[in-house]
Amino acid sequence: MTRALKKRLKATALWLTTFVLMIVMCVPGLWVVLSAFRPNREILAKPPVWVPQDLTLRNFTKIFGIGEETVAIPVLSYFWNSLVIATTSTVIALIIGMAGGYAFARFRFRFKNAWFLGLMLFRTVPGIALSLPVFMLWSRLGIIDTQMGLIIVYVSLNVPFTVWLIDGFFRQIPMSLSEAAQVDGCTRWQAFWKIEFPLAKSGIAAAGVFAFLTSWNEFALASQLTRSTDSKTLPVGLMDFTSQFTIDWAGMCAMAVIIIVPALILTFLVQKHLIAGLTFGGVKG
Amino acid sequence: MMKLRLKALAATAMVPLLAGAVAAQDYGNFDGYTLRVKLIGGAQYEPLYATISDWEAATGATVEILSRKNHFELDREIKQDIAAGTLDWCVGSNHTSFAPQYGNIYVDLREHISEDVLSEFVQRVLDHSTVDGRLVQLPRHSDVSNFYYQKSLFEDPENQAAFEAEYGYPLAPPETWEQVADMAKFFADPPNFFGFQYVGKDEAVTGRFYEMLVAEGGQLFTEDWEPAFNSEAGVRALQFFVDLYEAGAVPVGVPNYLWDDTGLGFGSGTVAMNLDWAGWSAYFNDPANSQVAGDVGLIRAPMGSAGVRTGWSGSHSFSITETCDNKEAAASFVTFLTDHDRQMIEARTGLLPSRSEVWETAKAEFAEGGNDFLVEVFDTYAASMAEDAFTPPLIPEWIEVSNVLWPRLQAAIVGDQTAQEALDQAADEARIVMEDAGYL
Amino acid sequence: MTRFFRTRQAALTPLLLLSPAILTMLFVVAIPLVFSFYTSLTPYRLTRPETIETFIGFRNYVRLWEDAAFWAAFWRTILFLVIALNVEFLLGLGIALLINKITWGQRTLRTIMMFPMMFSPILVGFQFKFIFNDNIGIVNNALQSMGIIDFAIPWLVDARLAMFSIIFAEVWMSTSVFAILLLAGLFAMPRDPLEAAKVDGCNAWQTFRHITLPFIMPFAFIAMTIRSLDVARAYDIVQVMTDGGPAGRTELLWTLIARVGYENARMGQANAMAYVSTILSIAFTYFFFTKLVAARRYMGGAE
Repeated sequence: MTRALKKRLKATALWLTTFVLMIVMCVPGLWVVLSAFRPNREILAKPPVWVPQDLTLRNFTKIFGIGEETVAIPVLSYFWNSLVIATTSTVIALIIGMAGGYAFARFRFRFKNAWFLGLMLFRTVPGIALSLPVFMLWSRLGIIDTQMGLIIVYVSLNVPFTVWLIDGFFRQIPMSLSEAAQVDGCTRWQAFWKIEFPLAKSGIAAAGVFAFLTSWNEFALASQLTRSTDSKTLPVGLMDFTSQFTIDWAGMCAMAVIIIVPALILTFLVQKHLIAGLTFGGVKG
Repeated sequence: MMKLRLKALAATAMVPLLAGAVAAQDYGNFDGYTLRVKLIGGAQYEPLYATISDWEAATGATVEILSRKNHFELDREIKQDIAAGTLDWCVGSNHTSFAPQYGNIYVDLREHISEDVLSEFVQRVLDHSTVDGRLVQLPRHSDVSNFYYQKSLFEDPENQAAFEAEYGYPLAPPETWEQVADMAKFFADPPNFFGFQYVGKDEAVTGRFYEMLVAEGGQLFTEDWEPAFNSEAGVRALQFFVDLYEAGAVPVGVPNYLWDDTGLGFGSGTVAMNLDWAGWSAYFNDPANSQVAGDVGLIRAPMGSAGVRTGWSGSHSFSITETCDNKEAAASFVTFLTDHDRQMIEARTGLLPSRSEVWETAKAEFAEGGNDFLVEVFDTYAASMAEDAFTPPLIPEWIEVSNVLWPRLQAAIVGDQTAQEALDQAADEARIVMEDAGYL
Repeated sequence: MTRFFRTRQAALTPLLLLSPAILTMLFVVAIPLVFSFYTSLTPYRLTRPETIETFIGFRNYVRLWEDAAFWAAFWRTILFLVIALNVEFLLGLGIALLINKITWGQRTLRTIMMFPMMFSPILVGFQFKFIFNDNIGIVNNALQSMGIIDFAIPWLVDARLAMFSIIFAEVWMSTSVFAILLLAGLFAMPRDPLEAAKVDGCNAWQTFRHITLPFIMPFAFIAMTIRSLDVARAYDIVQVMTDGGPAGRTELLWTLIARVGYENARMGQANAMAYVSTILSIAFTYFFFTKLVAARRYMGGAE
């Protein structure tokens, strides 16, 4: 056996091990995905039915109201709300995070560390402690059950982390680059967009993915601040499958798939940026 | 048979007549008005809402559904509304167990709905909907639990012989909870098969304990609202649950079970007997969901040692807020949602109507369609709604008392405390709740 | 004069840039916090709005001090956090080290690795409630059909197993966050020290212990800090899986607060509990943050 072959075999073995390990890790999630395509009778059977006998799209057609059996869940409005809320709040959080991160990375000012830590610590307040006061404030402002109401909350959930990550990223970029551009006649504003922003793109993308996933999956506050199809998001919609006495587990799994797939696609698309972004963000104080 | 047939015919003949009467009934004219409502959501409850457009067409009003959630979330939302002063809606779904907490935010419906309409409801259910002498909710459908079992197990001659040899009396669907305990132990073959099961947390287990307490002749509070559930009857009631757990006659997971677990568990065919709500009946007998379809027996809930049947009951209902700007429209709306034809929609899925007549119409329709199982369901539940049903004390502190009680019930079930210790501790904590609330 | 103006301006620019971030946090967090602190000094009940006007000083806090159930939940929460965060770190490290070695198809593997992050906490709760169901759950069913056990394991009932189960669910959901951040750390690692170590004859363990680990520790602390920021998300999981039961065996601060505040409608008392739990989260975050700063110094990174 040649050395090259040996090396190759070793690499393949490693790959296989890792792959199998990853799949094992995903089993509890894959089980949910599989359940979405099976009837309740089979999922909850005892003795268990290990090999699916009856793969079906019925759980999905029910949700979308196709065919005679429907569960009348306004999944399209939920999806739309989730999309608008998660995207908008992510974009706003990134803009605020860029401004804040730039300030921390490029300026000296008094109490800088205190400001920074303070911003982080505000994020630690548990949602359950905030839910009632936020609700009362929001109802005074008339933004209960609006997309806007949730967007504001999610922006604040995500700002500390985006500021942190983007701050770290800007620090990676030598001051000299933007100074050179300014010498060449650019304003600081132009220098930012032409030099620093493109370099920081990965970091911003990474922060964006985290922010998006947080908003996309958030349940506790959304369940308090939303009420109707005007603003209910997908995770809140999951509860539509429970009623006082019953639960439609297969239907819930189908809904879960609808929630997971877009998030998974997004994550796959930005994978490259994600790692690169996290590499430099944050760690270099 | 002939008689049944005739009755069925008469009933079907009646349906179009009644429908005509409903269409003719004047729901008023509220042209251009927008009625804001909060309704309980969930697959079971949605079909009714599909008919809201009929009311809109009849009255010219528009209905804006502000939220659709399950009851626990709706409860939280209504409390938030009370706190924030945002009761800017008219009609809300309500429930017997929750209603007393809300104080005076809901109107007394006797002032807004005519006596003629109310007299068509089951009297006992209206009584249960009354808090402090005010009818704060119009019942939509009622619920009480009855006893489901796998018929084939009881009919099997081998089981019959073996049971009688061991316990000295014949195996038949149980009349008392003592018999249930025997049979549960007899059928149990953990971890593959269980004799019985019960819910084990939250208000659910409090309710189950409470009805057993009543069936054993005990009471939750004395006349003066002193906690009294740590009596001998209370210990007996709790011991029933503890014994079954220790004997392995129920799944080891029951302390964490809620209604979905018990329902799904019985549907999975691994439990011989199950005390459950009417809402599950259709599910149990549906071959697409349930392994025991076609083999489901049903009898009235058994009796405790005091000769009383368990019958913890509650109703789903609609309430109208005091702050509503058009109570007439709201009253018209809730009357519409609980009228004969609307209740029929829900009855067809196995939910128990709150109007006396719907019981008969529904049964006739099931018989006509050859659905003997649902006829049996309605017969059984009609009897228990009429004779056995009772509610928890209709005081605002019920949920809070429940929240000090259920962790202690669990402690006894899993063996952390004896039944007496657990109940004594719960009684002490409940006394503090009642003191804080000004009862003592 | 001009110079003075300039420095003023220079001092103002960062604050101006920071102001949106600060305003959002003030608006969504600080104002509500002030309000909830006030209500924690009242016997405020949700269903009786007028009770908010009765001032009772620190009575709610005094009550807490004597409340054994609260302190049990408090220490249990700390136990939960310590175990969950450490296990997540170790598993995440293992996964990151493995994936780091892979050259082919890494992007796909990384996406698979992040799969659990796509799950909403509420969904994770339901999912593991079913998985750990004693009767029809797949864990017991699998163990039984393989003949490993012939009884049902009460995953969600037994005192230790119930804690194990909720920690398992939390770990499953959040290990990916550690893995991805630690992987980023491994990617950023310079090659030279590793080569040097090889030349010096260090074995794999020594290299890992003395070079790799110190380098990625800051990433670990970042992950810890991030996780301690939003670890209260676990509330959704625990609420669905056990709701603190049975007999309070899995009661965490968050489930306790939600029950007292909403179900019992005693918001004043719940907010007092929430304040104590906020202090706990702040302590955790501050602890990891100082560790992070120290680790950065150790690395000699730019301060």
